[in-house]
Amino acid sequence: MLTKLALAGVKNRRRDYLVLLAGLTMSAAIFYMFANLATNQAFIKANAVVKSASVVFGFGAVLLALITIVYIMYANSFLLSMRQHDYGLFMMLGAKRRRVGQLVFLETLILGTIATAIGIVLGIVVSKLLVGFLLDQLGLHLAHLTSFYLPAVLFTAVLYIGLFILASLFNLTRLMRTTVQQLLHADQQANQPKSRPFRQFILGLIGIGLLAVGYWALAAIEQLQMTAIPLALVTITLGTYLLFHAAVLAVIRGLRRTTWAKKRLNGFLLGQLNFRVHDYTRMLTIVSLLFAMALGAITVGSGYHRQMPMTADSLGAYTVAVHDANAHQKRLIKQLHVAHQATYTQKVQGKTTYYNAAELKAQPFQLIKSMQSSANGRPHFYTEPLAKFKTSGATQLDFIMLNPNKLGDFAAPKIVSATAFKQLKGATYRVTTVRVKHMADDLTVLKQLDHSEQRRFPQTASQLTIGTYQSFEMMNGIFGGLEFIGYFLGIAFLAMLASCLMFKILSGAPGDLRRYAMLNKVGVRRGLMRGSLAKEIGILFAIPGIMGVIDVLFGLQMFKPLMGKPMSPYLGIGTTFAIFIGLYVIYYVITLGLYLNLVMPRDVARD
Amino acid sequence: MTKTVVDVHHLEKTYGKAGERPYTALKGLNFSVAEGEFVGIMGASGSGKTTLLNMLSTLDTPTKGDVIVNGHDVTKMRGNQLSDFRAQEVGFIFQDFNLLESLTAEENIGLPLALQGTPSKVMDQAIQAVAATLSITDLLKKYPAQLSGGQKQRVAAARAIVHQPSILMGDEPTGALDSTSARELLDLLTTINRDQHMSVLLVTHDPFSASFCQRILFIKDGQIGSELKRGELDRKDFYQQVLTELGTFSE
Ligand SMILES: Nc1ncnc2c1ncn2[C@@H]1O[C@H](COP(=O)(O)OP(=O)(O)OP(=O)(O)O)[C@@H](O)[C@H]1O
Ligand SMILES: [Mg+2]
Repeated sequence: MLTKLALAGVKNRRRDYLVLLAGLTMSAAIFYMFANLATNQAFIKANAVVKSASVVFGFGAVLLALITIVYIMYANSFLLSMRQHDYGLFMMLGAKRRRVGQLVFLETLILGTIATAIGIVLGIVVSKLLVGFLLDQLGLHLAHLTSFYLPAVLFTAVLYIGLFILASLFNLTRLMRTTVQQLLHADQQANQPKSRPFRQFILGLIGIGLLAVGYWALAAIEQLQMTAIPLALVTITLGTYLLFHAAVLAVIRGLRRTTWAKKRLNGFLLGQLNFRVHDYTRMLTIVSLLFAMALGAITVGSGYHRQMPMTADSLGAYTVAVHDANAHQKRLIKQLHVAHQATYTQKVQGKTTYYNAAELKAQPFQLIKSMQSSANGRPHFYTEPLAKFKTSGATQLDFIMLNPNKLGDFAAPKIVSATAFKQLKGATYRVTTVRVKHMADDLTVLKQLDHSEQRRFPQTASQLTIGTYQSFEMMNGIFGGLEFIGYFLGIAFLAMLASCLMFKILSGAPGDLRRYAMLNKVGVRRGLMRGSLAKEIGILFAIPGIMGVIDVLFGLQMFKPLMGKPMSPYLGIGTTFAIFIGLYVIYYVITLGLYLNLVMPRDVARD
Repeated sequence: MTKTVVDVHHLEKTYGKAGERPYTALKGLNFSVAEGEFVGIMGASGSGKTTLLNMLSTLDTPTKGDVIVNGHDVTKMRGNQLSDFRAQEVGFIFQDFNLLESLTAEENIGLPLALQGTPSKVMDQAIQAVAATLSITDLLKKYPAQLSGGQKQRVAAARAIVHQPSILMGDEPTGALDSTSARELLDLLTTINRDQHMSVLLVTHDPFSASFCQRILFIKDGQIGSELKRGELDRKDFYQQVLTELGTFSE
């Protein structure tokens, strides 16, 4: 009988349950996707470079697990807030506490199991799509990246079901300890936070101090090495918490005394925030950290993506070198944004490649200045008089590598006078060197050009690169894994953080439903109510968002050693930030939509 | 000739959406309330008292008939007009107080004024004045959770009259109060009605509460079944009369 009642209760709140189920499913899916990457030995082994980032993965997995715990806690409190009134009612009607307890336990567990199962399936499907998409977009090749990996499935299942058992137990004890009265009127209790201004001021100062220590630790990562990250994590978390606690409440209190608070629904908005922010401080702290990590991960990932070509640009004097360009290659070269182009005739006798001094005089071979000597971080090119070139420039790898044997079997190149060159026997080649303005603009054409050159003149020394395009491909292999992890973690964190916030906010809906019904009776315009809600939820989204952005701006310091000159973790972060914040705003709009739907009083039908 | 504040003609209300069996709660109701009158509405449970108040306060719409409150034809209003009407013309006291627990008593009382954009000086004065009338000046800084039922209802009453509405309505406002608090509230309503000349419409099924009214309308079968006037009787005698009427009425 009681089971039937409980089921009826679930049916009546179908929509709320769908929201909950969707959120939990998504979280399980994300976790699976991450576990798949982090635990897939074949994948890690096959990508030696990624392995060097396995520390990052391990760290990410731990973080994600922690976040998952918090996330399930909030989802659970949403569930409890939905159900406690019903449970209280059952008990008032004489149902045994134990029996209701069983119901609670089962309900939580069943919901959790369903969510985990759907989540894993979804995770496998999305893995396939997302990984494919990311790799395609980034132009990376990661071997053995499968979407289904049994150990990851088991890992996800065990963690989630375990957490749900804990959540069920928590709900059970919660229920056993609260009185029926409290269950029935839980929404109506609003504990007003006590105000102790002096203590809060001190705590706020301590918070700022801790934040400073954390930001310093990130900047000083080279000195502190591995201790920097845990130190920063602890101090920033505590600092953010204390600062929120002190500052937000103080601001609200201050505003409440102004005349602004006496206009329209402003007072109501402040009142709502006042008793909400208090109970939200912990969650806002976590969300702000998640926000920072997500944004940081994406910023670093896209930083690598954007800046790798730029770094490559400064590694050599030419981007590609083509021997005896055929019609196809000539066409490709025409499509490039050429900064400098030169063609030299080569004659090969045995191991030696000969050059015509007259040609080199008319069109000196360009050399690149070493990065240390260029002040502004942009590469500098120069030429040398022929006499000097013979002993200096001609001995540099850039020039040596132009030989058509591609270092297979070579002696030092020789430069001879025009007449001597004419009389030389041996195979004749014409090599064209091209330097583009910005490699980033020409990547696809360069790829075709380089590949067709390699097909025609196979390269024997594969560990050496010819032209900066090849340097770029090599770097891409090394850092591509990091870039991928950055994007992946960023997207995962964003999804998690926004859902955390969403659940926490949605769990306030039952209480707000009554409040807005009251406002409606008192005669508040619907537009005004909607506006007030939008502001309230907007502020709850904005606080961790702003804090997160600040965290990232400082946190990027950590990547300075990894992204040496001319790269910088701060370059071009504007677009990344804009896209990320755009996604965050979409989450806000969705949450607001759901909330309005749950809370706004129904309009009186007028025909 | 006194002004009429409420004028109801042939008011009908049928509940039930398409597909459900319709239920007609009000079947052609007619009555009016003059300015400054204290009118009670009585009737058995389910007779349609709350339904009637909801029509008057625009929380719900009539199926047929006219409702005119202080010259406004309520049935013709749309959207924001409805909420503005509730905010300006009606003061409402609810059985369950309807106070916002995130606001202090003062902020709760000030809400109707804030909605109208009243300057904060004027607002403070109005709040102080009404708090003095209802003797809740000491309670202004407290939150609803820190107040007793009777105190909450006085705060609610203060909020209902702070903006000088043309009519004050109450749906069982004493329902959740003990007899002392109930009596205090009824005395306050009487004072407000007499001193501020504010019309009061009180829904109750409690004869004691009803005996504070000048006139009582009895609803039966969705219509006004009978009417009782206090005239020059004092409250105790009127109470006896209400009891007798209820006795015969329920036969
Ligand atoms: N939303 C609704 N949908 C359908 N029927 C309704 C609705 N609201 C009220 N009713 C019906 O209309 C009738 C009048 O209800 P109303 O709440 O007005 O009674 P009441 O006089 O206030 O009773 P009480 O003294 O118990 O509060 C009842 O029979 C009730 O079942
Ligand atoms: Mg009623």
